[in-house]
Parts: sequence; C-alpha cells; structure tokens
Amino acid sequence: MNSSPRIGLARRESLWAYAFISPWILGFIIFTIGPMLASLFFSFTEYNIVDSPRWIGLTNYINLFRDELFWHSLGITFKYAIIALPLGLVFSYFIAVLLNQKITGINIWRTIYFLPSVIAGVAVALLWGRIFDPKFGILNPFLEQFGIKGPGWLADPQWAVPALVIMSLWSVGGNVIIYLAGLQGVPTELYDAAKVDGATAWQRFRHVTLPMTTPVIFYNLILGLIGTFQYFTEVYVLTNGTGNPARSTLFYNLYLYQNAFRYFHMGYASTMAWVLFLIVLVFTLLIFRSSDAWVYYEGQLRGR
Amino acid sequence: MKNKLFKLLALCAIASMLLAACGGTAATQAPAEKVKVVIFVGMGTGTDPDQVDAQNALAEKYNSTHDNIEIEFLIVPHEEYATRYLAMLSGGNAPQLVGPNGISTVAEFFDTWEDVTPYIEAEKLDLSDFYGPAVELNTYPDKNTGLPLGLYPSYIYYNKDLFDAAGLDYPTHDFEDKSWNMDKLREYAMKLTVDKNGKNATDPDFDPENIVQYGYDDSWDGMRGTLADWGAENVGRPTTSDYKTAVADSPEWIQGLQWLSDGIWVDHFIGSAEVQAGRDSAGVDPFGPGTTGMFYSHTWFLAEGLHDLSFSADIAPFPYNPKGERIARIDADNFTIPKDAEHKQEAWEVMKWLTSPEIIVDVCRIYGCIPARKSVQDKFLEQLKADYPGIDYDVIFKSIDYLDKPNNEEWIPEWGKIEDALNNGLSLVYSGEEKDANKVLTDVNEEVQKILDEYWAAYP
Repeated sequence: MNSSPRIGLARRESLWAYAFISPWILGFIIFTIGPMLASLFFSFTEYNIVDSPRWIGLTNYINLFRDELFWHSLGITFKYAIIALPLGLVFSYFIAVLLNQKITGINIWRTIYFLPSVIAGVAVALLWGRIFDPKFGILNPFLEQFGIKGPGWLADPQWAVPALVIMSLWSVGGNVIIYLAGLQGVPTELYDAAKVDGATAWQRFRHVTLPMTTPVIFYNLILGLIGTFQYFTEVYVLTNGTGNPARSTLFYNLYLYQNAFRYFHMGYASTMAWVLFLIVLVFTLLIFRSSDAWVYYEGQLRGR
Repeated sequence: MKNKLFKLLALCAIASMLLAACGGTAATQAPAEKVKVVIFVGMGTGTDPDQVDAQNALAEKYNSTHDNIEIEFLIVPHEEYATRYLAMLSGGNAPQLVGPNGISTVAEFFDTWEDVTPYIEAEKLDLSDFYGPAVELNTYPDKNTGLPLGLYPSYIYYNKDLFDAAGLDYPTHDFEDKSWNMDKLREYAMKLTVDKNGKNATDPDFDPENIVQYGYDDSWDGMRGTLADWGAENVGRPTTSDYKTAVADSPEWIQGLQWLSDGIWVDHFIGSAEVQAGRDSAGVDPFGPGTTGMFYSHTWFLAEGLHDLSFSADIAPFPYNPKGERIARIDADNFTIPKDAEHKQEAWEVMKWLTSPEIIVDVCRIYGCIPARKSVQDKFLEQLKADYPGIDYDVIFKSIDYLDKPNNEEWIPEWGKIEDALNNGLSLVYSGEEKDANKVLTDVNEEVQKILDEYWAAYP
C-alpha cells in the first residue's frame, strides 16, 4: 500500500534530476555526439563542403594509409609527443615540488608560475615567435653570452620541433597546480614515520612522495597525451598554417585542418579525425592498463 | 496540478503568439525592403582599418543612390577567410558577392563561383573598355568568374639611396634595353649586399655571417610566382594545358630556382628563411626598413609599403630572363558571385557598379590596384601622381604587356594541394635544407604528378 507513493516520489525526483541536467545533455547531444556521428558518416564520403557528401565506403581509410604526408605528420606528432610529454611531466613535477616548500612568499611564486597558463595559446605563440627570432629575438643573444651560436629555431627544419617543445614548457602551470594539490594531499604521518625509520630526504621522496602522487601523475599523463596529439593552435599561428619550414612542423592536426579547409576534402579530414581518435584511445587504454603496475591509490591493495 | 498545467499552457500560447507575430511582421514587410547584398571581404586586401572606413563610405554612397538594393561589406580577418566562407556556404548563408578576389582565391574556391557569362550575354555588355588581359584572367574554359576590377602588374622597387651609396647606376627604365637581365640584376644585387664591415658580396673579405643589407628580395611570392618569369613553356603553370602531366621540373624552372638558391647560399644577395622570419616577427616588409636594394613585387605594394619611407625609391621593369624574354608576373582582382547566393541578379548589379567607369577609380584606390578599364587610366594616373610622387608611372602600365600567361596563380586541379607541394620545395631552398634545384624540383614534380593522377582517377 505504501510502496506506490514512494515509487512516484522517486520517479518525480528522477524527472527533476533529468530536467536540471537537460541543458548539459542537450548540449552534449547537439554539440558533441551529433558532430561526432556526422564526422563518422563524412569519413565514408567524399565531401567538399559545398556539394552533398557522396558515399565512397572505405576509400578514405585506404587512401589515408597510402598517403605519405599522413605518415609524415603522424611522425612529427609522435616525435613531439615523445619529447614534450615526458619533459613536461617531469618539469612540471619538479616545479611543483619546489613550490611545495615552506618558504617566504611561496604564494607569489605559485602565482608567477601559474600566470603563463592563463594566457591564450595564440598570444603565447606570438610571444615565443619573437623570442625565437634568430636576428631580433632575445634567446640567441642570451646563448651568445655563453659562446653558443643559436640556431634558426622556427626557421630551421632541424630546430623547429625542439623550439615548440621548449615553448610548451612555458605553459605547464596547469599541471603544476594539479601536482601541487597532490603533493599537499600526502599524509604527513608517512613522512614522520619515514624520518623515524631514518629515511633520507631522497628516500622520503622516492618511497613516499612519488608513490603517493602517482594518481595525479597518471591524470596529467592522460591529459597530456590527449593534448599533445591535438597540438594545433601554436603551430598554426607560428607557421601561418603551412607547417613550414620544409614541412618540419606539419603536425597531424595541421594536416587535418589543411585537408578540411584548404583542400576541401572534409570527408578525408573526418577520416583523419577518427584515426587520431583511435590512436589516442589505444594509447589511453594502454596507459590505463599499465596503471595497475605503477599507480598507487591510498587504501587500495595492489591488483584490486 | 491542473492550475500549474493551465499556467504552462497559457505561457506556451503567449510565446507562440509572440513568435507568430514577429514572423508575420517580417513577412508582410519583405516586399517593401531593399534586397541586401552582403559583400564578403577578406580573401585578399580590404581588411585594414582605413580600407574598412573607405568601404563603409562606398556602401553609404551606393545605398543613398539606390532604392532596390542595399550593400554591406562583411569584413573577415584574412587568416579566417577560408573557414568563414565555407561555414557560410555550408550553413546556407552564402554571401551575395565576394571580393576583392585575387586569381589565387578565385582558383582556391573555383567550383563555388557562378558563371557570369549569361549575365554578360543577356545585357550584351560591352567589355571592350577593359584591358584585354584583365578579361582573359577571369575567363576559364567553362566559366567567367566576374568582371575585372583591377590589375597588379609587377616590377622592381629599388632603393635609390643604396644605389647611390654603392656607386651604381639605377636599373634602366627602358623596356627595350636587353642588357637589363638576370645576370645584371645579380651583379647589382651582389654590390648592394653589405656586411657589418661595409664590404659588399663581391669582396673576397665579405662576411656572409654578418650581412646587414641585402641586394634583392622576392620572398613574398610562392614557387609559381617566383619561377613564372623564367620562360618555361607553361610559364606559371606547373602542369601541361590538359592538367594531366606535371611539368614543375622544366629546365627553365630548375634554372630559376638554382639562381635563387645560389643567390641565397653562394652569392648571399638574397635573405634566407631566417632573415624572412626576423622581418616577419618584427612586422616589417622587406623594403621599408631600407636594408634591401631591390624588391620584386606588385602594384599593391604601393599602398602597402611606399608610405613614409626614410629613403628615395623608384620602380624599374623586371629584367629579361636568360631566354631573352621579359615576363613580369601579374595579379588581378575581381568580385565573384557564389553559386549559392540568394540574390544573384542583385549581386550582378552591384558587381557592375563596382567596376563601372564612374566608380572603379575610387574602388581601386581602396585596394591599391590599377583599374581594369582603359578609359579611366588618365584619371587614375593623376591620382597616382598625387599619392606617390616621383616614381616612374610608365613602368606600372607598360609592365602589364609582359604578364605571365598561363598565370602563376591560375586554377589547376587540387590547387591548394599542389600549391603547398610547390611551396614546400621553395621552403627547402630558403631554409637551406636542400640547395640543389634539380633535386628539389624533381621531387616536387613527382609529388605533383601523384596528386594529378589521384585527381584524374577520382574525376576521369
């Protein structure tokens, strides 16, 4: 007799819950799921944006694997990811450890290190474009003080990607903040216990700090991986969308953009987008799979 | 509960009445309204603040004298032109008119343009007042993309002060003087190239690591433009006339590219990619700072770069090529009507107005082009004399006779893809990654052929 009104109340609450989150659900369906499904459809078509898409089955996928520039752009993206991702993770972790010390004015230092992260990517690119300028920039004259002849940086095919890696280190403030939160969440009793056991500072870092912050390292690694594979804005601005010099900065997403908006091969560009999605998905799953071996959650028993 | 339901229904009813009322008003007023012709600006020039003001004034002038059509210039940042234009097309909101369009952007979006031949034929429009080449540059086998607006012939801008300092005669302005050739230009350019010790590039003690002044620059053009003047059979086109065979490795193009490569890396009178990057990041053009002896460019540089110079400058014809021919590449502008435009007839009326003898000089002064109509040449010349005193205006008009045909920007299949393949080759040379022109163009030609083969396989 009493169950019926209770079910009614539960249902009503559910409806209210759905009503409250409906703006997000609608936005997700219209602006995320919808375009994703549309791009999946386009990836099986020849679509020049102006005329109606024409179904061509798997042709785009077959052509993609025969396309030398697809492999070239993928190679550049991997090269960048292999250097920039670990370097960014280590560098931001190092900065976070420094900013976790009890020193005077630490909040000012934290603000200073975070500030570059709030600057838009376009502005960062323009700023570093000036810094890297071989003739008028400030970097090469600085290197000359040490007797080093600076390279052409963004004008030199050999140095363009390393220059972009250096540039990426400037905006690690977001990672630093997350690491800092993780570092401050490490229980102090663990350090106290380690000290009682005679652990050195390095041993405390190696056996307490590092394991206890692996969840945030894992988090930053996943986001960093996705971010590096989606690298676009800075290189688009710095090379005017060309990927020059000599295609040395033709990143995957830049080539995708060129196919969509310069060559009007929107179907082919959609194929590229889905292949990129699969690549990132595979790497993400591999990292998730590996996390059992190196990510430690407090209170968790290994392997469970 | 019933009360709430009633309130909800009442709200819906009021909302629907309001919406219906708005719709009804628009529908009933529509016939009385002027047709709006939105002109998409951003494919080429036209986005500088003073140009925007001038275009708005032009719109006011038109709107105050026409009852049935209203024009509005839609200014789009140049770097966004492709995405914005395509978004408008795919969203069913095509602009009525697009321009000023260079030959390159006409080619880039070739399939989206309306053929204006039926409009010309329907009115039996007399095109004889337009320069012949200007009409030809808009005429393709299957369509005419628009009435000509302006031409941008090319020639050498030279710094008279640097010539004086080097003790050199100025380049001849005599179009018949065949001694003004690429060898002579190289000789002059080397003498105008100076290191920090004041030694020029012909001096054995010249220091190529510390150059402070270059003799020559043509870095604002792509591979096709750079090599069009060297006299290849297909001039500025990297394919045969049927667009099926790549000919980017023609002996003339290889000779031209090797001349450029040697100019950068052997004779040092042309700045490399590093030098260009420095100028780009400083936001200066190659000529303005006064450290380039000769700059090869087009008429649009008059408006863009010939103001407030700290030195004396003049212009001279582009030299004869090694085959003894003079070719001076040309750019041209027009306005085009997208196929998907809703008001094509009105757009055609506006296109005619913008290119009419009464208004074309004003329009060209905004964009820096030579009006494509012969009848206004004198009027325009007076204007040129007032705006840019002291230069040899004959060079501008005579250079039109030596244009590149096929043009260096004209349509080819997969225009953007082939342009990028060619310009990658040019980037290899400018960056020093590959200095052998034969190797560069052999590889580029192979890539272009592959693109053509794929295109013709898809569109037999």
